[in-house]
Amino acid sequence: MEFKDYYKTLGVSRDATAEEIKKAYRRLARKYHPDVSKETNAEQKMKEVNEANAVLSDPEKRAAYDQLGQGHGFQPGSDFQPPPGWDAGFEFRGQGSNGAQAADFSDFFAELFGKQMGAGARQAHHRMRGEDHHAKIMLDLEDTYHGATRSLTLRMPKLDSQGRTVLADHMLNVRIPKGVHSGQVIRLAGQGGPGHAGEAAGDLFLEVHFKPHSRYRIENKDVYATLPVAPWEAALGATVKIPVPDGQVEVRIPENSQSGRKLRLKGRGIPAATPGDLYLVLEVVLPPATTPKEREFYQTMAQELAFNPRQNLGV
Amino acid sequence: MSHEIDAILLEDAKLNLDELARSCQINREWIIERVRWGLLLDEDLITNDPAAWLFDSRSFMRIKRIIAIERDFESNPELAGLVADLLEEVEGLRARLKASELNED
Repeated sequence: MEFKDYYKTLGVSRDATAEEIKKAYRRLARKYHPDVSKETNAEQKMKEVNEANAVLSDPEKRAAYDQLGQGHGFQPGSDFQPPPGWDAGFEFRGQGSNGAQAADFSDFFAELFGKQMGAGARQAHHRMRGEDHHAKIMLDLEDTYHGATRSLTLRMPKLDSQGRTVLADHMLNVRIPKGVHSGQVIRLAGQGGPGHAGEAAGDLFLEVHFKPHSRYRIENKDVYATLPVAPWEAALGATVKIPVPDGQVEVRIPENSQSGRKLRLKGRGIPAATPGDLYLVLEVVLPPATTPKEREFYQTMAQELAFNPRQNLGV
Repeated sequence: MSHEIDAILLEDAKLNLDELARSCQINREWIIERVRWGLLLDEDLITNDPAAWLFDSRSFMRIKRIIAIERDFESNPELAGLVADLLEEVEGLRARLKASELNED
């Protein structure tokens, strides 16, 4: 395990005041805020910043951490195992003082402050329901059309054989309800933190997002797809067979259609309680003009149709 | 482990005030104040008795977001509500851009 330099993560000196640490944290929280940041790995960076802040903004944790670096001579990046009794004389309060989810923190943090995380956070003699955990799940669009079972691996605090709290992978097979859409939350009863003294485990809440799809684009419950059509199909109208997320359909293309025209298939979007719609956006694809015969067709059109696509531009 | 676990959509089993407070590790009075101030954008909640309040996915995510903004930036609740409004609007516009096959840049 690597010794983490929390001061470097926040970009402050080792003698930084509490106010300087607070300012540095806010600046980085803004920079790496996952909702708006354009930085690569913003979410991971935000977790690191949260973890550093959880230690350095808490006087007890900071003092214990400082003692490790100075008293025991650990250097950033060096291989690390906490010396026995390293935390003697310190009393830690709860998990990260900023309320970030303990499961987001590193093994290094778990090793140092594990007794305060998740399962170890409460006094054993207190009867207390386990904490709820929050995470995200990335689904394929098809999962919501058919319902699906997806495997999910989460890092969760657990007690090891010696009673210490460690972060361990926790694998779940989750049955995804049909009709779920992005931004909704699904709940897995009893899959959060363990309960204490016989109390129930907490629940796991998963925020749903969709993976990008090669063919479909999603806005709320509506689904968009591009439908390529030949010029004669767009001009004369046609009925074409196309794949949709839940199978195949035949669609009638109205005559005199243009590229960009949207055809709405009502209720064929995400099958929520009130289903979304499926929009097919027409894209007229021109046949190539490479062979003499193909070129002749285009020349005939040019002569016979007297068509000026730039008429609206006044030229 | 291999057995399958049913996931319940929050819209099918909404959270009451105590469940939301426990899940977000925040006290219920903190939530009641923000609902009364209109920060959850749900008029039905404001007028009803808190004992009858039920929170769906959107309210759950919005409360989590407001908690994070107030905590990370020590902002006042109204500013956190404003930032949450803007972030939701950005998310909506990004989804529309993607649906239209337009690039953000």
